[in-house]
Amino acid sequence: MLTIEHAWLDTRLQDICLELHPGEVLVLIGPNGAGKSSLLSLLSGLLSPDRGRSMLNGKPLHQLSAARLARHRAVLEQRMIAAPEFTGSEVIAMGSYGHGQADATATAVALTGVGELLGRHLGTLSGGEAQRVLLARALAQLLGSTEDERYLLLDEPTAALDIGTADGLMAQVGRIAREHRIGVLAVVHDINLALRHANRVALLDRGRLVACGPTAEVMQVQRLETVYGVRLAELIHDEQDLRAFIPLPPQEN
Amino acid sequence: MPYRPAVFTLILLALALLAGLLLDAPFGHALSGLLDQTHDPLARQLLLELRLPRVLSAASSGALLACAGAAIQFQFRNALAEPGLIGVSGGAALAAALALEAGFTGGMVVMTAFAGGVSALWLTWRLAGPHSPASQLILAGVAINALTGSLLTLLIATLPDGSLRTVTFWLMGSFASVDWRQATLLLLALPPIWALLWRRWRYLNLLQLGDAATFHAGYPLVRERRVVVALAALAASLVVANCGMIGFVGLMAPHLARLLIGADARRVMLLSPLLGALLAVVADTVSRLAIAPSELPVGVITSLAGAPFFLWLLRRALSGASHAHD
Repeated sequence: MLTIEHAWLDTRLQDICLELHPGEVLVLIGPNGAGKSSLLSLLSGLLSPDRGRSMLNGKPLHQLSAARLARHRAVLEQRMIAAPEFTGSEVIAMGSYGHGQADATATAVALTGVGELLGRHLGTLSGGEAQRVLLARALAQLLGSTEDERYLLLDEPTAALDIGTADGLMAQVGRIAREHRIGVLAVVHDINLALRHANRVALLDRGRLVACGPTAEVMQVQRLETVYGVRLAELIHDEQDLRAFIPLPPQEN
Repeated sequence: MPYRPAVFTLILLALALLAGLLLDAPFGHALSGLLDQTHDPLARQLLLELRLPRVLSAASSGALLACAGAAIQFQFRNALAEPGLIGVSGGAALAAALALEAGFTGGMVVMTAFAGGVSALWLTWRLAGPHSPASQLILAGVAINALTGSLLTLLIATLPDGSLRTVTFWLMGSFASVDWRQATLLLLALPPIWALLWRRWRYLNLLQLGDAATFHAGYPLVRERRVVVALAALAASLVVANCGMIGFVGLMAPHLARLLIGADARRVMLLSPLLGALLAVVADTVSRLAIAPSELPVGVITSLAGAPFFLWLLRRALSGASHAHD
């Protein structure tokens, strides 16, 4: 279990408690500047909290070596510097540097459907294609690991994707989480993606965790309206048993 | 067939070494001098005591500079970087000249040059800021180079026996006066530095995806960066302390390698030193023959070839940056 206990990080995060379990999809939402990426960096071990603790199975992350951490968690960074001269297969192979297992790379390619992008240079790919290649790299890193507990941390994986591709990617991530018992934390801006694909949702606002729990409980109209500062209408599609939120124009007084 | 260019380069390098050894020497004399010890001892001495250490120094210096250039380009994710342009060579030259003036010899000169090179690189890096665009690091390098260059000239000018010739040696480099001791040092230093840098190809590749991605994939950033920068600075300092500043080899060799075999550090770090050796040996031979019986400093030749290359890269980098801002 990946946990954060009463973590503070300068002015960005205040008194955060969070758990990530294997096999679940936890989606982290919140307005711009709420501290979502910082929280992800605490969970990944890239940053250490000023106060409080971030731990893997009770062991502080900063006590684990970079190589050991890499066997337990992989990260799709938000502002990954894309190396335009590298081919898709070279980038995905970087995921297997720690373990050298080619079959893990092949599985990652199959799961993300990037087979046709392997020979192309990253610089020639669209934002969405590059994102899938980078996701395949992160997956290859985890799938080759023999550890029981593995976590995938995704920072805005759907930022460059159209709605169909974004929905498909989140669904795929959910399947991978269930089938490979990988715990997924995804930072997502689209609250409807969170609604559709999360097992649990964590709502962050100005460095504080406002709510964290099962999706339906956390994602209440009033709470979201307060945090995001917009009026929302909730749409319910009875046949498909789906909910969605759309922002409404401000009320005129 | 990723290693075909390496084999091809090796063959060219062997030919260049032979040419460097024998060209301009009265051909028959030189050859028979090698074969027959009693025949023309002067030609034999020329070959074994002057030419051989000279071409071997040129080859190992070129390889060391290419190692340093490739490592620095990967480490700073900067296609324009090379030891001469970001201050390492300037700092090393100034420190080496000071060390010689203080009466140091051999290894102590190299260690002082190393300290100077690392300090200058650190200063350049701090001036540019850690996450600066490629061109900013080069601008900071220009400032550091101007400073070290003028201090070096000032130092030599104030010496009783200081001459323009010494200044030219440091600023433009030369293999003309290397002896066997220096050649051996360069030859022995090359394999470990090359191997230590090459075995970091995974780290160097991952860096191209960013610092965070490298850490997340399991590589300790601070330690690896220190090792890579130290090895690159040591490689450049070794060359500078023995042969002066030879520009652009460290820039051209890695780029030629990338053009031939792609961006993967595993191959680039292998091929670049071979290409660097080839470039340096060819440049040295040209510098020796171009205005014979006089000699040109070898840096003149490498800069004549390298500066247009650099301008082409700069243009590409700047147009890339402007596209990124669109």
